[in-house]
Amino acid sequence: MIYKSLIFKSLLSVILLSLSLSAFAEISLDSGKNLFKTKCATCHNKGMKAASTGPALGGVVERWSDYPESDLYAWIRNSAALISTGHPRANEIFNEYDKSAMTAFPELTDDDVASLLAYIDGVYTGVYPPRKAGDVGADSGATAKQGLGAWVYWLLLGVLGLFAFILSRVIGNLNYLAAEKEGRPYQKKTIFETLTNKSVVSFILFGLVVLGAYTAASNAINLGRQQGYAPDQPIKFSHATHAGEHKIDCQYCHDGARRSKHAVIPATNTCINCHSAIKYGSTYGNAELTKIYASTGYLPKGTGTYIEGYEDMSLEEKKEIYTGWMLENAIENDEKFEKVTEDLLEKIDQEWGEVVVSLTNDQKSTLGGPIEWTRVHNLPDHVYFNHAQHVTVGGLECQDCHGAVEEMDVVAQYAPLSMGWCINCHRETKVQFTNNDYYNKSYEKYHAEIASGARDGVTVEDIGGLECQKCHY
Amino acid sequence: MKNSQNGIWIGGKDLNHDPEFIQEAQKEMHDPSLLNTLGDESIATEVESSRRDFLKYLGFGLGAATVAAGCEIPVKRAIPYVVKPDEIVPGVATYYASTYVKGGEYCPVLVKTREGRPIKIEGNALSPITSGGTSARAQASVLDLYDVNRIQSPQIANEDGFDTASWDDINKAVSSSMNSNARVRIVSNTILSPSFKKLIGEFTAKYPNTKLVQYDPVSASALLDANQKTFGQRVVPDYRFDKADYIVSFNADFLGTWISPIEYNRDYISKRKITSAKGASMSRHVQVESHMSMTGSNADNRILVKPSEQSSAVAFLYNEVTGGNVGTAGLTDKAKKALRRVATQLHANRGHSIILCGNNNLGEQLLVNAINNHLGNYGNTINFGHASMQRQGSDADMASLVAEMNAGRVDVLIVNDANPVYDYFNGAAFAAGMAKVKNKVGLCYRHSETSALCNLIAPIHHGLESWGDAEAKRGQISIIQPTIHPLFDTKQAEEVILGWSGSSLMSAEQPYFEYLKSSWSASSTGFASADSYVDGILHDGVLNLASSESAVSFGGFNPTEAASSLIKPNLGEGVEISFQEPVSIGNGVHANNPWLQEMPDPVTRTTWGNYLAVPVEFDGVKKFIGYMGLKDGSLVQLTIGDKTVTVPVVQQFGQMPGTVSLSLGYGVQNGGFASKGIGENVNDCLTVVNDSPQYFAVVNNIKNIGKKEKEFSCVQYHNTMGVTAENKAGETINADEETLAPGYGNIFSGFQGALVERSIIRRSNLDHLEESVDHLVHEREHFEHLNQQTLYPFDKYTEEKYAEGHHWGMHVDLTSCTGCSACTVACMAENNVPVVGKKKVSIHQEMSWLRIDRYYFGDVENPNTVYQPLMCQHCDNAPCENVCPVNATNHSSEGLNQMTYNRCIGTRYCANNCPYKVRRFNWSDYTTADIFPANQVKVNGEKIPYGADNLTRMVLNPDVTVRSRGVIEKCSFCVQRIQEGKLSAKTEGRRLVDSDVRTACQTACPTGAITFGDINNKKAEVSKKFSSPLSYEVLEEVNVRSSVRYSMKVTNKDENFDA
Repeated sequence: MIYKSLIFKSLLSVILLSLSLSAFAEISLDSGKNLFKTKCATCHNKGMKAASTGPALGGVVERWSDYPESDLYAWIRNSAALISTGHPRANEIFNEYDKSAMTAFPELTDDDVASLLAYIDGVYTGVYPPRKAGDVGADSGATAKQGLGAWVYWLLLGVLGLFAFILSRVIGNLNYLAAEKEGRPYQKKTIFETLTNKSVVSFILFGLVVLGAYTAASNAINLGRQQGYAPDQPIKFSHATHAGEHKIDCQYCHDGARRSKHAVIPATNTCINCHSAIKYGSTYGNAELTKIYASTGYLPKGTGTYIEGYEDMSLEEKKEIYTGWMLENAIENDEKFEKVTEDLLEKIDQEWGEVVVSLTNDQKSTLGGPIEWTRVHNLPDHVYFNHAQHVTVGGLECQDCHGAVEEMDVVAQYAPLSMGWCINCHRETKVQFTNNDYYNKSYEKYHAEIASGARDGVTVEDIGGLECQKCHY
Repeated sequence: MKNSQNGIWIGGKDLNHDPEFIQEAQKEMHDPSLLNTLGDESIATEVESSRRDFLKYLGFGLGAATVAAGCEIPVKRAIPYVVKPDEIVPGVATYYASTYVKGGEYCPVLVKTREGRPIKIEGNALSPITSGGTSARAQASVLDLYDVNRIQSPQIANEDGFDTASWDDINKAVSSSMNSNARVRIVSNTILSPSFKKLIGEFTAKYPNTKLVQYDPVSASALLDANQKTFGQRVVPDYRFDKADYIVSFNADFLGTWISPIEYNRDYISKRKITSAKGASMSRHVQVESHMSMTGSNADNRILVKPSEQSSAVAFLYNEVTGGNVGTAGLTDKAKKALRRVATQLHANRGHSIILCGNNNLGEQLLVNAINNHLGNYGNTINFGHASMQRQGSDADMASLVAEMNAGRVDVLIVNDANPVYDYFNGAAFAAGMAKVKNKVGLCYRHSETSALCNLIAPIHHGLESWGDAEAKRGQISIIQPTIHPLFDTKQAEEVILGWSGSSLMSAEQPYFEYLKSSWSASSTGFASADSYVDGILHDGVLNLASSESAVSFGGFNPTEAASSLIKPNLGEGVEISFQEPVSIGNGVHANNPWLQEMPDPVTRTTWGNYLAVPVEFDGVKKFIGYMGLKDGSLVQLTIGDKTVTVPVVQQFGQMPGTVSLSLGYGVQNGGFASKGIGENVNDCLTVVNDSPQYFAVVNNIKNIGKKEKEFSCVQYHNTMGVTAENKAGETINADEETLAPGYGNIFSGFQGALVERSIIRRSNLDHLEESVDHLVHEREHFEHLNQQTLYPFDKYTEEKYAEGHHWGMHVDLTSCTGCSACTVACMAENNVPVVGKKKVSIHQEMSWLRIDRYYFGDVENPNTVYQPLMCQHCDNAPCENVCPVNATNHSSEGLNQMTYNRCIGTRYCANNCPYKVRRFNWSDYTTADIFPANQVKVNGEKIPYGADNLTRMVLNPDVTVRSRGVIEKCSFCVQRIQEGKLSAKTEGRRLVDSDVRTACQTACPTGAITFGDINNKKAEVSKKFSSPLSYEVLEEVNVRSSVRYSMKVTNKDENFDA
């Protein structure tokens, strides 16, 4: 009886699980992403963590948890209408954001809003992207789903354990019955004896070997991968300041991304474009900016000039020029320093020391010349990757692969850059297929299928994006 | 003796069913003893590996792997520009128009640079001379830029070598030795630059006793002198092969090496392309020679004439055509008969024929001019308006220079990038003369036999670092612009001379560029400003000025005078030897270029060395044997005059009995690692008549010393396919399927059983072309029928798989392929194909992705030739793919047979299973892609292994993976170019067109024999060619569904020539 009920329960849980997955089939993070891009991204920060024209959207469901869910949906569709009803939460936000109401989107269905919220939460909690197959179709409870999966495994393990226990009891009982029938004494095996018999030991050994091999293989796969790699750079350049706070477009500096395989680290003169005017850093003052000046021989004094004969100068001469300027600059720009003091001189001396250390190394003894950054994203030599393909043709956002760089003070490798990661994306990403004559002319069958509704889109995989020689040649 | 259906054979071993060769073919893959492939041979043969060794290596391997895995990932630097030049986007190639010039060799090019370094040469399609074609030498020139043997700074001679010096030292030393009375001689190969000539004029104005002496490594002085005599112009006329219906060439290798091969290839083939079988026409080409030259191999008819009887042959034709009466001694009856027939056919082609003579003999050249004049060719097929300047050397000037030097009447000798001590026929006298000159200044790129005798060495730029201009043909100017910052402390020769002539421009940043601009400004009329003129010409690279077509009048011709300087035939028994410039390395000029050294000679298929080509004779019973019983690789002692050299032999069909031939240009002793000890120098064996070298000699003795060359580096019998043999029952079978045939022959006869009738070459003669095409169409239908007898009908499969997107295909026109090998070198440059060296070639380990197979057909004593460029055929039903245990080679949806190096574990099953033998295995770490230095090989005794040298590695294409040891590689259809082309179409949002994707071999080809494109696009050029009835697939009957099609080789042979 107990068995029956157990089987029934486990069956039930399997059915429930599949039901729970299929229930949310129409709500997808991808469609949420598309909606966000077309409707929300102009006013809301896409990292979901910082306020922009509109508030940061991360955690919006929790903030509205005091009210019925329908209020939030109504708020998203038409905020002005909700405000006019005198809804307290609605008016609170309205006042906070200088009484400017959000554009109304009456066309959004409940599923759309749910997808949107799921996407917002996914990005906020960091679950989305990286995309995993299971994520598609998950609702806002992406973390809960993970818990559910683990729970099922534990349950199954428990059920199996129970089966094993029951079976061993059954075998024991049968042996006992058999022994009794034959009239020989039955000696029950102790647990120790059971666990140390040949088959159990060899099974455990086998299990260990398999486990060891599995661990070795999965660790070996990770050799050479550097997800999270965030090396110190010669200049403490902050993307959070430049791209986040000042909203400089990524491609202003990384101008190769749209037209070359390399995104390109900008030439130093790109820095000087702005820093001929902005001469004192908001965080580090003179310390970091002087590095770019000293590497090019640019003296930002007054209207700024390149120092004549900079290459031939001795280190002492360079030091004199730059420390002199740093002193003036600090007094001019920093309220803390009003006149030349011992402290200030010492600080500048120390800062100059750092400049020299950062710009020189074993192979490079002069200050002038290119800045040797430490490369963060490294692909093996046998991998061909082209930024232009992904940025210009594919229309990907930089953040899709590089994460929220605009929030990073020190750049860290966001994605694993593993082949599996590339492949998964190629499997799932739809090609921008209809507005490009290249595809229009060469893939007539797919277009016909799309027109007839037989296919809802073409993924990178469909046009050969998983083939070896797309990336290895 | 035709033993296959098509009457095609590759060499004597094939015709003879040589058992060793058959066995080799059966093995499918050359399998030298393992020890032979490892390290130094002398050590290797002593080693015997045992089980213990195996365990040792295993242990070491495991340990090494652990160490390698345990290492931390190295920190990589990313170094941006300080100020980024506008035209450079890192990762995107920038092209500059420039010109490849080496002496008289000329090719307008586009230089592909990546991040400021040139990596590949493409042809400049705007040039009216080459129309975008290139040569193997032009392709290989980029490798010279990164030559480790370059002289990197000025040098001054001391007692036993050279000391490094500064430019100031050199300039001081030169100026101290020069005064207005100094007798200065500048010796140079042909100078094509009008500006440089102007500059030398200014130099001469300052030092009035200066004289420029030009000579060519292979002299064409007689041709120029003859035109001087007949037309008053010392030039090479403008030969228009595209207007000629009948071409007779006396020993002129105009498709291989003579004057302007790229131009001639294009024009010649434009008259021979067949687009449809009906009403096809083509020119007829008759070659009169004793050895099989590349041009001769393309000829429709060859007339075999001994080298010493060339004069008689020219005279005989002269008599026949004009009715003259010049003495003609010697000549076989066969040759006379043939020449008589030529004469009648020439009469039928008056005004649209060309007679050429490549011999350096004034009498012959004068007679040839008279024949051409008599036939009315001047003004039609031969013009002087755009006359060529590509040979300007004078034998007389050179002889008087040598005399002057030996008499001590020269104060300063300036050698401008030339090596007369090696390549002048009387190099010894030149060297002796140099000893009597006080100041010898070498403007040298690398050291040479001549530079060793100089006391001042002024190192010069590579062409890719220089400014310049070139006027290869009158009125057709092209420019040379630098594409890289000078790598070393060198200057360009022009700038050095500019400095010595005391120019005020020397203070400029680029003095010679300023000089050029001022000299160009003269021709800038019609442009808004001088600057816009310069910008325009730098952009286009070429400029065509109005043709200064001047009607030339045929001056006096005196047959007696011409006859007096003809060669007297050697009527004795002595074997005659002819010498010729090899297509690859020239007369030693390119000897230090490993790509060219490893490029097989189109005809003899030899690499790394000069091989004595000996005739093959039929023994009257069954076999073809080499002259004196010599076999491929036999070493002989060859005595000519008082010089004896030991050279290996190669059997050569089409070599006239009683003659042998040998290439010049080898045996360079002081020219860098790649040429050192490679072959023998025979420049001093030439016959000399009136100070003019004649490129033949009478051999005193050939002695078989009974030894074989240890490293016989001829690729003749490598990677052969479709070789037939006889089985025990005496039936003809396919050699590589001997084991298969008896067992399965009965069951499968007539069904997929076309084991012996392998269709590799299809050919036809113009007079039965329609018949042959019908036959081909019929046969292809039959193959298709056989191929359909399968459970897996291929059409259904392809319809689904390849209908969408692209399906790449290539078409090669065998009639258009002249064998020039520009494609093979272009492929090496584009795809980082390694050079392996002589030893590795000798054990079948050459790596070239694209080989040109050479087959003979027709008369065994005087055969015709067909060249077949063979690369991976990208079979849609590929046999290599389904034998790979790790799926490292598989098929893409675009019809590419993909090779994934990082997946390959080196089982070589795929290479075994490839019917075309186009897969190459990396036996060593040729380009230092892995971590064990012991796996690297030395090509020819260089200090740092060739591929490991950082300077040499600058030539690598960054878009193509450098392969490591132990993986298979092969032609990828230039997949990097396909991806690049697709991307540019996508970014521009338009359909992909033919010009988006052009493979390296396609762009290199001077005759347009190779077409590449998307066969799903019905408008693509390749689709049209695929549907031509002349097209066929190689080995179509084995149902591999290759993506490469060839079109039939068509000749225009007069079958009744000897009758």
